[in-house]
Amino acid sequence: MSAQTYRDSDIVDFVIVGSGAAGGVVARELAQAGLTVVVMEQGPKFNPRTYTHDELRDWYLGGITNDVVKNPQTFRDDEAKNAELQKFKPALWYGRVVGGGSLHYTANFWRFREIDFNERSVLGAIAGTGFADWPIAYADLEPYYTKVEWEIGVSGLAGVNPFDPPRSKPYPMPPLPVKSSGVLFERGARKLGWHPVPAPMAINSVAYRGRAACVHCGFCHGFACEVRAKASSAFTVIPEAEATGRCEVRTESYVFRIETDRQGRATGVSYYDRDRKEHFQRARAVVVSANGAETPRLLLMSASPQFPNGLANSSGLVGKYLMFNGNSRALGVFEHELNEFKSVQVTRILHDFYDSDPKRGCYGGGGLDARMGPQPTTWAIRTATEGPSWGREFKERLKEFPRSMQVATHSTSLAVESNNVTLDPELKDAWGLPALRVTYKDHPDDLAITRFLQDRGAEILEAAGALRVTRAPVTPQTSSVHLLGTCRMGNDPKTSVIDKYHRCHDVPNLFLCDGSSLVTSGRGQPTMTIQALAFRAGEHIANFAKRGEI
Amino acid sequence: MEGTNLSRRALLQAIAAAIAGTAVPIGWAEAAAAMEQAHAVSHNGSDATISLLTAAEAADVEAVAAQIVPSDDLPGAREAGVVYFIDRALATFFSQLAVDYRAQLAAFQSAYRERYPAAKSFAALTSEQQIEYLKTVDETPFFNTTRLLTLLGMFTLPAYGGNRDGVGWKLIGFEDRHVFHPPFGYYDRDYPGFLADPDKTK
Repeated sequence: MSAQTYRDSDIVDFVIVGSGAAGGVVARELAQAGLTVVVMEQGPKFNPRTYTHDELRDWYLGGITNDVVKNPQTFRDDEAKNAELQKFKPALWYGRVVGGGSLHYTANFWRFREIDFNERSVLGAIAGTGFADWPIAYADLEPYYTKVEWEIGVSGLAGVNPFDPPRSKPYPMPPLPVKSSGVLFERGARKLGWHPVPAPMAINSVAYRGRAACVHCGFCHGFACEVRAKASSAFTVIPEAEATGRCEVRTESYVFRIETDRQGRATGVSYYDRDRKEHFQRARAVVVSANGAETPRLLLMSASPQFPNGLANSSGLVGKYLMFNGNSRALGVFEHELNEFKSVQVTRILHDFYDSDPKRGCYGGGGLDARMGPQPTTWAIRTATEGPSWGREFKERLKEFPRSMQVATHSTSLAVESNNVTLDPELKDAWGLPALRVTYKDHPDDLAITRFLQDRGAEILEAAGALRVTRAPVTPQTSSVHLLGTCRMGNDPKTSVIDKYHRCHDVPNLFLCDGSSLVTSGRGQPTMTIQALAFRAGEHIANFAKRGEI
Repeated sequence: MEGTNLSRRALLQAIAAAIAGTAVPIGWAEAAAAMEQAHAVSHNGSDATISLLTAAEAADVEAVAAQIVPSDDLPGAREAGVVYFIDRALATFFSQLAVDYRAQLAAFQSAYRERYPAAKSFAALTSEQQIEYLKTVDETPFFNTTRLLTLLGMFTLPAYGGNRDGVGWKLIGFEDRHVFHPPFGYYDRDYPGFLADPDKTK
């Protein structure tokens, strides 16, 4: 429990909406700078002592995430269609617990590279998209990437990836022990002349900053880490923020509206407590780090006569340009056991195809990694989509579990205005608030680069000696955990929602920092960049506050 | 029959009766009541009763599940108790799917009755007939949902009513342990350590 508590009537310096990858970091930065902070979290506090490995609960019943009953969503792939209620899995999936998505992520911590920030200038415009440069460069973010690696804790090996951007320090921990999938990936990729390297992971390979080393239980992807080896905001920055005595994390507190005064400044947030009783927490400034789905939703729900299209939405871009990252997998079955259900997801990655190349006939690039894929239940469900799907042959395929691995691909998504988050005009959530309506269709180039990368993955598996290689069907995505681009950063208030310091162009004491801030999607592993942005934002916002510039 | 508690043994009897081509015996509720306590003990707290589905629905769902993951020298969906998982799921944590699913099931049942007018139930068909019929409907929403629920019931924690005694995990070679140590598999046993190619990196 937080040592410090505030009353709703206390005017705190900052309310931060969301305790995840970004919100946790911003909370720590502001609290350590001497400012008072209340962090509002929709979900409960996570208790490592009672946590069990329960695939059904955490993958299908919203155990630590939003769920389809309490937090319903509708989905469509075209704005001309009616969006349909998603009854089994959410379209946009996010952590709903202290730590947010950083509790259930896989913890792949790739830095973005220079090209991710200025690719529009390098390649030129792409018709029908909102492809744009960032208002900041890789060099602006480099010190904060380093900060993430050392203060959140990333295992890896610097200096071996020929495609890595410049870095000011090595990793603080050595790479995690290689798995059989990593060995095979390395063997196959090297035969093809490519450059596999140890994966940078936000998982402790050795005890670090008071947290234990990984015990290789195998439950990272979609699960919480009860030994706290996987760096979550819940185990890193949140306790550090609380330790200042200036930060309260208020759990099961669901913010539904940012209130504003006549001058158009934020005055605090209205929220429901766990008993659905309404409160108003006053604050001098508000930071929204609620994720790329809930941040734009909150702004749209905060519409008022003064801000009829939603708060901070004079550009009309709040909720627009949703990006998921492309992904696919090639599956390999080998002669001997790999036992991929043990240990972390990924131990080797490859960035040879990171840059876009006109010779491929499409925009885009990405990375590949060697991984186990999901644990038994989801593995079985996916296996049914990749060959025989029932009967004796299917049962034989199921028995290949310990001898299987996958090469996963991660790639660019173009920003398309018709891919977006809006408020469903009819459907309400369990609190009576407008449900999220998601409209998304992968750009043809996103699917083309995904297929290109999947073919490279299949080649690696073949070169590694797989007995059988299959490709999971590449189809337009209808669901994602990467929720990016919906309140983009930029210098021009007409074409962006926040400035390069995460301040809303329209509301001077309202800041947004999370996946929604991204201008481009990167190549598929966004959390590292979200946290680097959060460290940078936290530092700037604290300075603004101290200088009276909020 | 809806809402009646039905023990596993009573269900098996129903299936046996259906396969034998006899009418399903009356007195389900009584049979269930008589068996229920014994099952509560023998399954050590696991929920081995059918509570939402009717006996006929449960028998057909189990028959379909048993064709998705058939039994041979190793256990299949039947031994894993998948139908109990499915029943419980639809009654509780997947209740949002129950109305649609039961409508799909009803459509499935009336469709196979057209194909096999003499059959008492899908479960009463021979295995060969079941397979032949399922090949014609294995892309329908009913089949897809049944497969999804079957696999969830086969491989999730036994506490949810399926994966009895961990037979699903044993089938695929998953070890339910909390801590592992390297080497994890065959190929990482003799790994010499990562060596960057000096020509390709600097």
